[in-house]
Amino acid sequence: MKVNLMHGAGGEVMGELLRVITNLEHNNAGGIGLESLDDGAVIPLNGQNIVFTTDNHVVSPIFFPGGDIGRIAVCGTINDLAMMGGRPIALSCGMVIPEGFEVADLERIVASMDAALGECGANLVTGDTKVLERSALDTIVVNTAGIGVAERVVRDNGLSVGDKIIVSGTIGDHGIAIMAHREGFDFGGQIRSDVAPLWPLVEKALAAGDIHAMKDPTRGGFANAINEMARKSGVGIVIEEADLPFRASVRSAAGMLGLDPLEVANEGKVVMGVAPHDAETVLAALRSHPYGRDAAIVGEVVEGSHVVMRTAIGGERFIEPPVGDPVPRVC
Amino acid sequence: MRTSGTIIIRGIVQGVGFRPFVYAKAREFGITGTVKNLGSEVEIHASGDRFEEFLEAVSRGTPLSQIDSVDVQNLRGGKTEGFTILESNSGSLSGFIPTDVAICDDCIADIFTRGGRYEGYWATSCVNCGPRYSIINTIPYDRERTSMAEFPVCPACESEYTDPACRRHHAQTIACAACGPGLALLRADGTPVAGDPIREAAALLDAGSIVAIRGIGGFHIACTEEAAGVLKCRLGRTEQPLAVMATPEEVERIAVVSDEERRILHSRERPIMVLEKRDPVSHPTISDLHTIGCMLPYTGLHHLLFANLAHPLLIMTSANLPGYPMITDLGVALERLPGQVDYILTHDRRIVNRCDDSVVRDGYIIRLSRGLAPKREAIDLGKGCILGVGPELNANISIYKGGFCITSPHVGNVRNPQTLAYLQETAERLGGLTGARYDRIVHDLHPQFLSTRYAREVAEATGAELLAVQHHRAHIAATTREECVGIAIDGVGYGDDATIWGGEVFAGRIPYLDRVAHLEVVPMPGGDLATRFPERMLYGILPTPEVRDILASRGWSDIELAVLVRQVERGLNVAATSSTGRVLDAAAALLGICRERTYDGEPAMKLESAAYAGKPSAWDLEYRQDGGCEVLSTRSLLAEACRRSAAGGRADDIAASFQYNLARGVAAMAVRAAEERGIPRVALSGGVAYNRAIRETIRTEIRNAGLEFIMNKDYPLGDGCISFGQVVYGGSVEE
Ligand SMILES: [Fe+3]
Ligand SMILES: [Mg+2]
Ligand SMILES: [Zn+2]
Ligand SMILES: [Zn+2]
Repeated sequence: MKVNLMHGAGGEVMGELLRVITNLEHNNAGGIGLESLDDGAVIPLNGQNIVFTTDNHVVSPIFFPGGDIGRIAVCGTINDLAMMGGRPIALSCGMVIPEGFEVADLERIVASMDAALGECGANLVTGDTKVLERSALDTIVVNTAGIGVAERVVRDNGLSVGDKIIVSGTIGDHGIAIMAHREGFDFGGQIRSDVAPLWPLVEKALAAGDIHAMKDPTRGGFANAINEMARKSGVGIVIEEADLPFRASVRSAAGMLGLDPLEVANEGKVVMGVAPHDAETVLAALRSHPYGRDAAIVGEVVEGSHVVMRTAIGGERFIEPPVGDPVPRVC
Repeated sequence: MRTSGTIIIRGIVQGVGFRPFVYAKAREFGITGTVKNLGSEVEIHASGDRFEEFLEAVSRGTPLSQIDSVDVQNLRGGKTEGFTILESNSGSLSGFIPTDVAICDDCIADIFTRGGRYEGYWATSCVNCGPRYSIINTIPYDRERTSMAEFPVCPACESEYTDPACRRHHAQTIACAACGPGLALLRADGTPVAGDPIREAAALLDAGSIVAIRGIGGFHIACTEEAAGVLKCRLGRTEQPLAVMATPEEVERIAVVSDEERRILHSRERPIMVLEKRDPVSHPTISDLHTIGCMLPYTGLHHLLFANLAHPLLIMTSANLPGYPMITDLGVALERLPGQVDYILTHDRRIVNRCDDSVVRDGYIIRLSRGLAPKREAIDLGKGCILGVGPELNANISIYKGGFCITSPHVGNVRNPQTLAYLQETAERLGGLTGARYDRIVHDLHPQFLSTRYAREVAEATGAELLAVQHHRAHIAATTREECVGIAIDGVGYGDDATIWGGEVFAGRIPYLDRVAHLEVVPMPGGDLATRFPERMLYGILPTPEVRDILASRGWSDIELAVLVRQVERGLNVAATSSTGRVLDAAAALLGICRERTYDGEPAMKLESAAYAGKPSAWDLEYRQDGGCEVLSTRSLLAEACRRSAAGGRADDIAASFQYNLARGVAAMAVRAAEERGIPRVALSGGVAYNRAIRETIRTEIRNAGLEFIMNKDYPLGDGCISFGQVVYGGSVEE
């Protein structure tokens, strides 16, 4: 078997590749390791929970409405730490840069990284740079890794029946923004990426109530995140379509293209399962932060094994993990 | 000359009055012995001088029975006094449960016999008629294993039940007003309405109320023609044609009924017949097509209702959200129907198995359900046991075991949790009734179908082998097992090459069907969105300034149009398809006949109605070769339609010509494929084949080329044949 692009698209096909790549015996340093494929690893050290994670970032185009590759690279890692309950402490950054890349662009990227770090009090403390021939690479690749400290570790598999499902804001903004910008669509108004470092928001939520599970709906979108949480927790979830927050522009853009905004990436959102009695206070805490203004309770954890959406017209449909490109099915 | 023997009769012999029939014949020919029901066979021990005559008589069976084989062996056991009917036993399960059948003429006469014991009784039935599948829990079919078990018979019914001379001798559904299920008329809030339920319901319907009526296999929603507009608004289905139930005289007044159609209309299966209206534009609130779906009353309740009703016609649509299972349960009806209906006419006989009305057009089955299913077909597919889980839309399931394939009634669109659960329930129930232990489970090739997911789950639980079959190959497998050129024309199905097929010509013999020709592969901008909005298909196929102008003139905003143009340019979320349905949709869009599809097949059906009055003319057809396949250019056909339309051509003539030339092109490719390979026959399947003009053009072209033309009238042409085709295909693949 040779690796193809579908292997990177998330979903079942990517699972095949992951099985190969994660086939390690030495995969756990005493806490939560690679085997659980959570947002990050946890290493207990002297009574502290050290959270550790890494991510590679490529995005086309590298500058887009609402952000750039630098902001994504920092936020991706900070958010993965935050999803484990970890306060981000320090990041590393490895850049692979193609020959001919504009230094001015590098300066913009680094400034944007610095701003994102500043938003949550983290620091970028070490790094590495490689320059490759034009023929070997046609765009910049930014890797970040980060460590954080979690007072209480939050997993993605901790949902229990009765929990409320909360999303911290509008869904699908990043994916649709990138696509519109890259493909040159004019939807009659600019759609901006939501890319943002979530620790300050998550910190408020953690202080407000009992959060059982968290995940950031990045690749594969909300559909992928919610299914993974349900599967790993061994529960079913019912989502109310009418309660899902969407930006009108995102909804209409997705509608014009036949895309499902639940299946495209977000870079500044969190999906959480919250104990029912704490749901309102956690929601209030989220809404008190600018990045959580549009937070909403969108569903509930039930017995079972499927994620089902009650539609606005009174029907029900499954929310399924995307398998890459959508395939028409209407006869 | 034999004077004794043990006779084993196999087939559908349960619930069809077989034992009383044998009993009556035994008396007629002076035979002593016993008769016993063993599930799918009856065992008769018989002795008497006129044994041979008796054997010949019982071998003919009863009206509802279906006999597969009759075996005679030496008499087992000793001789007995007289002739007795023994209790049923569950034996082998290769036979099957009879389907629900319409009330017979004798029972109708009973209901309207003044002073008779069945006068006015809604659930009157006998051994020759009434519900079967819908009330059965397990087989063998006996009252105690049906929902009639909750109604112990009164002495009068008991004496008819045990009287061998009576039509209700051993009729498991025997019931009368004293002992049987009763009726109630409720307001939508569940409170009862005083008075005779049928008379009151009829008066309310006449006055314009909308009434849910609990029938054999589920709830209908009924109203008069005048109330149709209100009903459509309440259901949120303003476009979809509704079926009607009417007196035979009224049906003849509305529609042109051929002898063959009249026979089917009056058959005991009593399907909805899609008939051509006498005046194509009449009854527009019921159907704005040139056709109308009509059925005759088929239960005692219906006959009593019409006897009390001033109107000769009622709209009768099944009570469900489109694509969801019909409501069978009163509790669910009370929860879901308020807001849609004003009253509920219900009975207290539990519906064990849901069963929608069957639908037939031109003798071809559109929906295989009440009266026709569970369908049982004798076919030799070897020793293995096979489950076909169907596609996603218009799904049902099929099970093969020991020489028979059983196909379930219509399940629906398996794309929501309720219908998936219904599919599962149907598979489990039929699997249980047939005693199936699967060796192989066959599913569609589409990676995301819920039915595929279900197939995987069953395979995992049972250890059965999984097999994926391409959708259109399943269509051909459902049509013939002979070597053929197979034409599959329908909506969309996942193809071998991960594009979306739907206008395909195959050659070979299952399981080796090579794709040899197809319609031009065209873009489907937005995937399923292009199915919902046919103007997207139109622009996908013809991305020209003229088409852009047409869309702009129809209210597309500059932004929407620019996004569509860009989407086609960039190929973002644009699928590639050779579907026939989508091409017809595009033509409907071009002619302004349908801008949004609100129900299955709407644009193509409206195109057919528009073409009905038109005169077809032959256009030039363009073919080319692509990857070893012959390809008919649909783009050039659509461009021709566009030119003629711009030049002020009549929409009906263009519609008729478009259909005619598309059909001619498909047929020509099939003929060439057959001649090249020396194959003597061409098979046709797929939902587009319901279109009379297209089907008959193909038939004529194939026959004119001296080839045999085959279609399967026993299974739907649309996706209701897929599970059967999957099973047949699965049975042809070596392990
Ligand atoms: Fe089909
Ligand atoms: Mg991550
Ligand atoms: Zn009868
Ligand atoms: Zn009685």
